[in-house]
Amino acid sequence: MRKSSFWLVYVLLLVAQLVLCNYANFTPYVCVTILPVMVLFLPIRVKPVGAMLIAFATGLCVDFLSDGLLGVNAIALIPVAFLRNYIIELVFGRELFIRREDFSVRLHGFSKVFVSTLIVTAIFLAIYVWVEAAGARSFQFNLLRFIYSLAASMVVSILCFQSLAAHSA
Amino acid sequence: MRRQKALPTLINVIIFILLEVAALEIVTHHSLLQQSWVAKAGQFFKGHVWGGATRVRSYFSLTQMNDSLSRENSILQGELLQAREMLRAVRLDTMKLQQQEGFSSIHAEILKISRNKQHNYIVLNRGFEDGIMEKSGIITAKGVVGIVTSVSAHHAYAMSFQNNDISISARLGKEGGSGLLVWDGVSSNGAILKEIPLQYLYSPGDTVYTSGHSLLFPPDIPLGTAGQSKVRNGSTNEISIRLFQDFKELRYVTVVHNNSFEEIIEFEQ
Repeated sequence: MRKSSFWLVYVLLLVAQLVLCNYANFTPYVCVTILPVMVLFLPIRVKPVGAMLIAFATGLCVDFLSDGLLGVNAIALIPVAFLRNYIIELVFGRELFIRREDFSVRLHGFSKVFVSTLIVTAIFLAIYVWVEAAGARSFQFNLLRFIYSLAASMVVSILCFQSLAAHSA
Repeated sequence: MRRQKALPTLINVIIFILLEVAALEIVTHHSLLQQSWVAKAGQFFKGHVWGGATRVRSYFSLTQMNDSLSRENSILQGELLQAREMLRAVRLDTMKLQQQEGFSSIHAEILKISRNKQHNYIVLNRGFEDGIMEKSGIITAKGVVGIVTSVSAHHAYAMSFQNNDISISARLGKEGGSGLLVWDGVSSNGAILKEIPLQYLYSPGDTVYTSGHSLLFPPDIPLGTAGQSKVRNGSTNEISIRLFQDFKELRYVTVVHNNSFEEIIEFEQ
């Protein structure tokens, strides 16, 4: 039941991301994303190859159904899935994999979940901003866009990981 | 255990690369800006890879290039010697340009060289079948190296300048006094110019050339620069010379032979 509810929440968040992509275009400096946190919160039993395939499919789905550049979300999200296990091990420790236990704010504390979310969101946005700019925008613009987007995305991600964590255990 | 861990990691990396390439392909297929950006990055990468490969290839062909440059250098040196002889002939008789026999030159490589003795020697990779004769001088663009003393079919044995038995007639500057240049017996680029009469003034740093008084070496080959001097027997100067040719760096040389050598010796006898 919990497993199926996780995937239901995952799909709902995907829809939320599509809404953000299509309607939350206030300024070119801000791009709000919750895709990294969705991939980070995939169950621990999902292996990196599975996570990468899910990330690829999720990214392409968002790209197809939103106004953005086709493939850019997929490009940025696959490295998040690839590095996911390393980041979890770095922040939460190896025991999580040995016990096959999913992480949550309740069990591991807000700060660890926040740090891991910050890392994956930063990786995602760094690649996203860099690829989308394609050398046509200044470094200053890209840097500001990265910082503002990271701040905005973290606020939305905090709201998301509460609901994801509640259904992933 | 390590292999068990390495295989899944390798699979992960391969899948990661494949998915990234697929995503990149989708991006470039749908956007001209990204397409040109990726193409530019590709060109940059290729330029660096091929540029690097070319540099590596050039590095490994340095020996071959060195050989060819050395041969070319030897030919040019021969031509320079001939030109000098012609010039001298013009100076001697401005009314009649004489065709001088001059020096012939042959390029050679040093097979063996001794440097740690008082009587050092050199073995060259050319012999009489290549045109090398006894009593030939050995030079480089930087100075005098030695004298050929015996020759076999394919090799020549020579006394190195770093030998207490050798002295070369040398001159301070183009018009200065002549003396005998001998090895200082210690360093690989040090020599002493002896028997320079006191009336010939010089300054430290002046260039020393072959005088041309010897039958073995052409005149005006730069040998080194003058340093400090000492007065000997109250009548001559003894000047320390820093040679241009460092004997530690020797590899290719030019063997020069005076084409009038036998005739002059015969005439003297």
